[in-house]
Amino acid sequence: MNIWFRQHRFAFGAALATIRKAPGSFLFNVLVVAVALALPFAGLTLLDNVRPLSEQLSVDPEISLFMKPGVPREDAQALAPQLRQLLAGSRAKISFVPREEALDSLKTRSGIADVIETLGDNPLPDSYVMKLEGFTTSAARADAARVDLLADHMRQLPGVESVQVDSAWVKRLAALLGVLRLALLLLAATLGVVVIAVVFNTIRLQVLTQKEEIAVSKLLGATDNFIHRPFYYTGALLGLCAGAVALGAVALALRPLNTAIAEFARLYASEFQLAALPPLGVAGLLAISAGLGLVGALLSVQRHLARLK
Amino acid sequence: MIEFQSVSKQYSADALALSEVSLNIGKGELVYLAGPSGAGKSTLMKMVAAIERPSSGRVIVNGQDLGKLGKAGVPFLRRNLGLIFQHQRLLNDRNILANVMLPLIVTGAPKAQAAERARAALDKVGLLERAKAHPMELSGGEQQRVAIARAIVNRPQIILADEPTANLDRAAADRVIGALHAFHAAGVTCVISSHDEQILDSAARVIRLEQGRLVAGGAA
Repeated sequence: MNIWFRQHRFAFGAALATIRKAPGSFLFNVLVVAVALALPFAGLTLLDNVRPLSEQLSVDPEISLFMKPGVPREDAQALAPQLRQLLAGSRAKISFVPREEALDSLKTRSGIADVIETLGDNPLPDSYVMKLEGFTTSAARADAARVDLLADHMRQLPGVESVQVDSAWVKRLAALLGVLRLALLLLAATLGVVVIAVVFNTIRLQVLTQKEEIAVSKLLGATDNFIHRPFYYTGALLGLCAGAVALGAVALALRPLNTAIAEFARLYASEFQLAALPPLGVAGLLAISAGLGLVGALLSVQRHLARLK
Repeated sequence: MIEFQSVSKQYSADALALSEVSLNIGKGELVYLAGPSGAGKSTLMKMVAAIERPSSGRVIVNGQDLGKLGKAGVPFLRRNLGLIFQHQRLLNDRNILANVMLPLIVTGAPKAQAAERARAALDKVGLLERAKAHPMELSGGEQQRVAIARAIVNRPQIILADEPTANLDRAAADRVIGALHAFHAAGVTCVISSHDEQILDSAARVIRLEQGRLVAGGAA
């Protein structure tokens, strides 16, 4: 265990020594990797800020049920208990809208009262408007499916002409968030490959620079692990430093962004502000950055040291 | 200690480096390998250190058949060998103390202990006062003595020196050979390749190779 620890300490020291020998080159590579990491980190920060906000959004869907023309008022009103039974599992507000009230409302709101007057007879049917409560975007997909199912049941009721569901926007919002998440994932994966490629090339150059040291060490009894470890540490350190720089850049960018957002949010009486990621998120992203660097180093070392043999 | 049983090494169809070589080197012996360039001296040495593998035949070192030695076992074999090369192969980016410490560092020895033993090894070759110098600051003879210090710092059972005096003047060559003889006197098995007839004249045992064939001195 002591030897294992000592060898890791030596490898870490060797990696630091290599970095100290060419700090400019290391810094340049850190900046290149940081630029690649900054984009997905910024996207993640944005999603992390928007997610709780969108989860709290009320997306209560509305179902409108229209009776067939000519259905007697008593029959239309008799439908109310059945609708209540159908909506028993949901918090719902059911309103019966008589055709006369609907016509009055149309006249008032549409501004086409004169045109409606010329119709003579009221063409509108009796209807019900049902507002379902307690729906959130976090469960939007499941809720939308439930609302669609309720509408299907309502269409089977006697005297019902049509049922309209106003939950399409819930689906759209859920789909939009899904697309954003997927886009971010693809962006992160693409830029992850860029990070691995940069580290791969950096380590390749180091292997070539240290070719003689590697050869001599092997002749003196160094194991493959002993040879590989400093490169792994260099790759991980490069990823870690780049991750820290990228997170720092994103945190800095939040200040001017928040100034602009504050102006905008004030118009909606909101105090919404973008916040930096929580410590656990930061630690996770740093670990991922170091991991990407390690993967790049692993691939490079496996490929180029095998060639040296 | 070192045994070659009908060992051949063919690099390509028209490059036969060793042909059916059989020899035996006992524990504590001092043996010279002689022969012109291309005779197969370096190939033979490389086989003892498992740098090259035979095309046929068996190489046995310390009772271990190297044909059966896996890749993972090679570093541990080399830790029992002291390798000295014609061109020293010292690392120019560090001082000679760090160069001599390297064989101990690769085994996971504590740095302080490695430094102490490296200083002792440099002292044995008369270069302790130059411990902080870099290889480029030393003469060829001094560099070769550093290489000897690096070879003996691990207290190996066998020293393999491939043309250690090739680029040295007489005085420097004599100092290098003197140092190797001192380690042999301390019980270390030494195999030294050379085509310096003056050195070979004083040798107790000389194994001669020509065009990959053993022509003299194969038996202990």
